[in-house]
Amino acid sequence: MAKWSNDRLDILSVDRRRLLQGAAGFGMALGMGGGLAALSRTAVAQEGIRAQILQIPGVGAGSPGDADWQQVGELCLGATKQNVQEGEFAGVELTFMGLNNQNLHNLLFRGFLKPWETYTGAKITWIDLAQADYNPRLQQAIATGTVDFDILEMGAPFEGDVCGKGLASEMPDWVKAQIDMDDYVDYLKAPVGTWDGKTYRISIDGDCHNFNYRTDVFSDPELAEAWKAEGGEGEWGVPKTWQQVKAATKFLKGKQVAGQDAYGYLDPLKPWGGFGFYFLASRATAYAKHPDDKAWLFDIDTMKPRINNSAWVRTIQDVVDSLPYQPADQLNADPNTTGFQQFLFGTGSMISWWGDIGSNARTSDSSVIGEVCGFDILPGSDDVYNNKTGQWDKLPSGPNYAPNMAYIGWGIYVMARVDSDSKKHKAAWSAAAHLGGKDLSLWTSAYPSGFQPYRKSHFNIQEWTEAGYDEAFISGYLASQSNSYNHPNAAIEPRIPGIFQYYSVAEDELAKVFAGQVDAQTGADNIAAAWEKITDSIGREQQIKLYKASLGL
Amino acid sequence: MSPAPSVTASAAPVRAAPDPARRQAIGRGLFWAATALFLAAVLVQGLYSAGLTQVGFANWRPVLYAYVIWSVAVCASQVLRHGQRGQRALFVLPAFLFTLAVVVFPTVFGLFIAFSDWNLSSFTGRQFNGIDNFVAMLNDPYYWNAMGNMVIYVLAVLVQYAIAFGLALLLNAEIRARKFFRVAFLLPFMLSPVAVSWMIGKSLMEYRFGPLAQLARFLGWDSPAFFATPWIARASIIALDSWVSIPFIMILLLAGLQAMPKDIMEAARIDGATGWQAFWKITFPLMLPVSVTAIVLRIIFQLKLADIVINTTAGGPGGATDTVTSFIYREYRDRSNVGYGTMLAEFYFVLIVIFLTVLLALINRWMKRFPTT
Repeated sequence: MAKWSNDRLDILSVDRRRLLQGAAGFGMALGMGGGLAALSRTAVAQEGIRAQILQIPGVGAGSPGDADWQQVGELCLGATKQNVQEGEFAGVELTFMGLNNQNLHNLLFRGFLKPWETYTGAKITWIDLAQADYNPRLQQAIATGTVDFDILEMGAPFEGDVCGKGLASEMPDWVKAQIDMDDYVDYLKAPVGTWDGKTYRISIDGDCHNFNYRTDVFSDPELAEAWKAEGGEGEWGVPKTWQQVKAATKFLKGKQVAGQDAYGYLDPLKPWGGFGFYFLASRATAYAKHPDDKAWLFDIDTMKPRINNSAWVRTIQDVVDSLPYQPADQLNADPNTTGFQQFLFGTGSMISWWGDIGSNARTSDSSVIGEVCGFDILPGSDDVYNNKTGQWDKLPSGPNYAPNMAYIGWGIYVMARVDSDSKKHKAAWSAAAHLGGKDLSLWTSAYPSGFQPYRKSHFNIQEWTEAGYDEAFISGYLASQSNSYNHPNAAIEPRIPGIFQYYSVAEDELAKVFAGQVDAQTGADNIAAAWEKITDSIGREQQIKLYKASLGL
Repeated sequence: MSPAPSVTASAAPVRAAPDPARRQAIGRGLFWAATALFLAAVLVQGLYSAGLTQVGFANWRPVLYAYVIWSVAVCASQVLRHGQRGQRALFVLPAFLFTLAVVVFPTVFGLFIAFSDWNLSSFTGRQFNGIDNFVAMLNDPYYWNAMGNMVIYVLAVLVQYAIAFGLALLLNAEIRARKFFRVAFLLPFMLSPVAVSWMIGKSLMEYRFGPLAQLARFLGWDSPAFFATPWIARASIIALDSWVSIPFIMILLLAGLQAMPKDIMEAARIDGATGWQAFWKITFPLMLPVSVTAIVLRIIFQLKLADIVINTTAGGPGGATDTVTSFIYREYRDRSNVGYGTMLAEFYFVLIVIFLTVLLALINRWMKRFPTT
């Protein structure tokens, strides 16, 4: 896995070099000496800006604040200035709806867009929502025809609700050019962000769950000795499969590392408005996502849930089996607690999470594991369930890996209600394009922002090391991301209406299983029955149609 | 500067009072005109929303404005038609019309929604589905589990009451810094339950670094996980809720104690009654009306318990701390299941009304046994 990751990064770097070479060659071919010089100056200036923003406030200089966000926004205004005249949007008022999770998201956007507002003359009003309030607020606005915002921060899973219902504005071509959409990693390109061939989304994030682990724990000589003495299989090291994760978690119970109680894998088990389901899915994909099958959560042709097949039941049982070896309060730990109060604070040695763990490990004031945090793609499984045959297959290539593209990342969408006003339309898209700009995105992927790398240009190790990151650390982090995004067997969730209804119901049933009230199979059957009801309630035929559309079928 | 004109009473023109019959006619006319306007607005918008006509408003806001106009017209017509009696009615009528708009109408309209399949993600919108939601509710184990938990939470009110009574007696006694303690004991009640759930539930009781968890470890509890097992989690939620709510009961009881005639207690003391006897034979019976008020109010609040649970445990572990309101919150907010969520809420509302009616009747019967009350 690690070898493949470095190769992949090399390929991405080569792609980037080739791109620049190609651009230079294009200029020469045209015989435009002056144009080439201008192009070179632009490229050099852009690289200068990228290096400059990565020094704000600097890796290891504490958490960035509003002044830093504004400074980054100011430095990245170049692309906007090429398409918009100063003061062009004077008198335009826009409303922006987004999150305020962990004091990030909208709080950063405010800072980034402040210089944009000053330059363009537009004014933005903000609607800040907590994660749990986001889905209901959005659904109510859609269902009651009270969309009161012009720009929306939204995850791809909601596209079925918004784009599928014609509520979003189609992206103009000048925006596509400004944000350089070709730079997106492949899995974020169409069909993600598109419906019926039209593009709606500016990606600002590239979600996937990766595997975060403690390097000190898995290189500890005393633990290695104990592992051998207790008859552990193979050498003591970072688990590569869920079977190994399970064994390591059991082994670590009762051990100590650096004078503290050691724990293995941490499962977030407290419901989290539906978002907690992603963490079970991250355990399940290696079992449930067969390389020969695009689907892993529902059957594509019928929307029949697969949550109660052998793969998912085995996953649920794995969690139940691991519970006695996890911290005593794990049942009441939601993903935020697990990521930011446990793992970054030094509790636990393995966790699946979005890229935030990596971007916070060395840049957040509260992290104590910056020097001992390693990364990989999600563990695999020795065997994978084939839903078509009902058998467990052992692949000739070895363990099955299926990184979970959980949530498919945040994006910025402009609502269709601005379409009737050309000035407002351009202003809304300009603001969205500023937030989704190529340079600005480098900063958000490097510092605590709620977003992770999602462009090919984000995987240039040199930029990160020049910014102050340790090469080994950042190589591992970026490899875990790029290898997940580009994995041929990546598990991509259905972008269908009401997806969080499914997840929320599942969380309730899973809570009963984890509390020991029902067994894994019964719990999974209950979830399947509840999911069937939701599908019927929303409209089965419509769901199947949108599910297929979301998969580009 | 010109001198100010002098005004004398005799110089002021006297306006003749309008003829009572004419005034009544104007009042009636105003009422019927406003009623016609309001009904027309409802009819036009109703037909338009149902897709039966092409004429209508973009939303229901104009109907609300028509209601406001109608309400003002009703009040004015009362004065015009009934004179002083109508003016007296104005003390109550605006409040009644406001309650009609924001309590009675939503409750009745809620019934309309409760009998429909309305999933906000559905492409077909709201569909009437008869008693399907009601049948689903009868078979919903989460709802009845939450209902079972509510019994426990309501019973906890009695414990809260006992503690609050003790504190009220203490603060009613001649102790030092009595005023300070009265304010200090009230502070938790002034805090938002949401803030309490974060400050105490998620900080002080946090398993790793929370001071209460550290204290519990010091006292010998190896794994002080306050929210990981059903009964400990329930007890923790009740403790958090009690911390916020006991001051409310305490302040009501304290007011009752201070209003109690002192001479009765003095007579009892002269007659040689012990403190315990004085409490059971005099204080407690005399305080029964206040106690009943405090307990009933607390039960009403308790039946709506949700914020602390949502923030601290999200109903877990395994639904052990779930309340009816927090379950409805999930059903409505997380799952956009508006029709079913409304059915759960409406049914719960009816249950609360029945429960409180029966409870008050039983308490009345029981209190008649105490001659002093």
